[in-house]
Amino acid sequence: MANERVICSGCSLLCDDIIIKSDGLYIDEVIGACLKGKERFDQATAKNRILNPLIKKDGELKKVTFDEALEKTLTIIKNSSKPLLYGFSTVNCEAQLKGIELASLINGFIDSNSIICQGKVLNTAKETGLSLTTIAEGINKADLLILWGANAAESIPRLLNKVLFSRGKFRMTGREIKTLIIIDPVKTASFGVMGVRDIALQIETAKDIDLIRVLKEYCCKADGIPDAGVAGIDKDDLKRVLLHLTGTENGIIFIGQGLLKSQNGDNVIKELLELVQLINVKQEKGRISVIMLGGHYNMLGFDHVALSNYGKNHSLQFSNHQLVETPDTIITKIEKDDFDCSIIVGTDPISHFPTQLSKKLMSKPLILIDNKQTATSYVADVIIPSSITGIENGGMVYRIDHIPLNLKKIINPPNNVFSDEEIIKKIIESLE
Amino acid sequence: MAFALDLLQGKVKVDDCTPLLEPKYKKDYDTLKDLLGAEEGKEKELRIDVDNDLCDGCGICVTICPVNARYCPPSLSGKAPDYPPEKHQLFQVKGGKCELLAIEYCRRIEAQGRERECRVCETYCPREAIKIDYV
Ligand code: SF4
Ligand code: SF4
Ligand code: SF4
Repeated sequence: MANERVICSGCSLLCDDIIIKSDGLYIDEVIGACLKGKERFDQATAKNRILNPLIKKDGELKKVTFDEALEKTLTIIKNSSKPLLYGFSTVNCEAQLKGIELASLINGFIDSNSIICQGKVLNTAKETGLSLTTIAEGINKADLLILWGANAAESIPRLLNKVLFSRGKFRMTGREIKTLIIIDPVKTASFGVMGVRDIALQIETAKDIDLIRVLKEYCCKADGIPDAGVAGIDKDDLKRVLLHLTGTENGIIFIGQGLLKSQNGDNVIKELLELVQLINVKQEKGRISVIMLGGHYNMLGFDHVALSNYGKNHSLQFSNHQLVETPDTIITKIEKDDFDCSIIVGTDPISHFPTQLSKKLMSKPLILIDNKQTATSYVADVIIPSSITGIENGGMVYRIDHIPLNLKKIINPPNNVFSDEEIIKKIIESLE
Repeated sequence: MAFALDLLQGKVKVDDCTPLLEPKYKKDYDTLKDLLGAEEGKEKELRIDVDNDLCDGCGICVTICPVNARYCPPSLSGKAPDYPPEKHQLFQVKGGKCELLAIEYCRRIEAQGRERECRVCETYCPREAIKIDYV
């Protein structure tokens, strides 16, 4: 395979324009991918790659055969009455579906990383509605881009290149007619792309909710903006932001991690989505949409797979192989110690979760399906190595704008390791 | 602006600006002479440095450079240009880092008038990894 364009699975932008030079065994050159994407392709031969199944014996991880690791996995599952399945945002949709099937078979509880990230926006949208758009619309038609609590330049390195600096299909100019507004308490790297017409708002920490409320109040009025400004933003800037919000033909708000935490006990996302709906109802000639910025390349996939197959996008609890109602999430389950073993797929909760949760998680048997060493791999009782999706196996994934894409296999996995989907399938078959 | 650029590139000298020779601008004249020093009048060469330690391969320079936009159609929609690069292509991202390919087609060398003052790659690089200089 020479000079083929492939999709990068380095982050949720899933850039589909990466040129790869490969002899079918190794990837020799990666052209067009950012550093984060290059590192993703390098993962195939990385030093921290897990290539052999491992089982913890006398406190130490020892190499074993796949069958031995599978056997140990089955023993842990069979001795468990409240298994917990978590992760699934860095695997393809096929593996996500198998994961939910496994949860159903073993009467477990399954959740994805989305519940502490983009899923929060989707859940809020059930009340408020959600106006979505695509990256292509951003490239071709957007005239206003707002990064709200989102340091796109670092989390999704090529996003601004694509939506802000591209010229688009229907015109010769690009950057010149696109206004960028950045709302963030910290002056991030994203501020570095601002031009003279753009608006940089360094908002006071955790005051986004106050700004949104003022915008909601005044977006339908011609004047009357408070003289004192709000949240450290002065009257003139407020006025400019309002003019852009209510005058845009195709505006996109990128919601970042900075907005996901509640402020004063209130849901910031809810207020923001309500503001968007309010403006869209009033707007005669334009529309504002939102795109949630999440890191893992198929975080949205889990929400889609779970919703379309089971009618619920997250936190699925099975009992008697049936989906049952539960107010719990992965966080409350661990907090309450309401589990007796965990199956972690493609994520590293031990380093991502607060210490008290990590401690509880590692106090019970932990099965890990992943391809790299992490804090979680050091505490796991069984590790089954998987191939790298988007490089060593293909499959369907969802981009940040909810567009499904098909990843291709580029090279063969080393040591003939199985894909996440194959591993979960083997566990299911052995249990049945 | 054009005079300043030509001055920096060594195409004209400070003394070519007649108003500067008037006594009331003596201070500015001296400052400029000082700044340019012995290099004055010597043709300077354009240098575009990309700091590989800072660059994270975001590709903004590839997309925004007007020369790339003209000769590499994929870059109009923010996509990576074809490979191997077109001969006029100025930047490409390879191995996660930006590479400067053909400085001779940069507008600061090739173009005329205001277009010659292009500096957008340096201005919009979020990492401040690009530096345009004359040495
Ligand atoms: S922005 Fe994301 S998907 Fe695109 S090349 Fe970089 S890591 Fe890969
Ligand atoms: S714009 Fe800057 S950081 Fe981005 S690829 Fe070019 S040199 Fe690197
Ligand atoms: S100065 Fe302008 S023409 Fe020259 S490399 Fe930079 S963007 Fe391209």
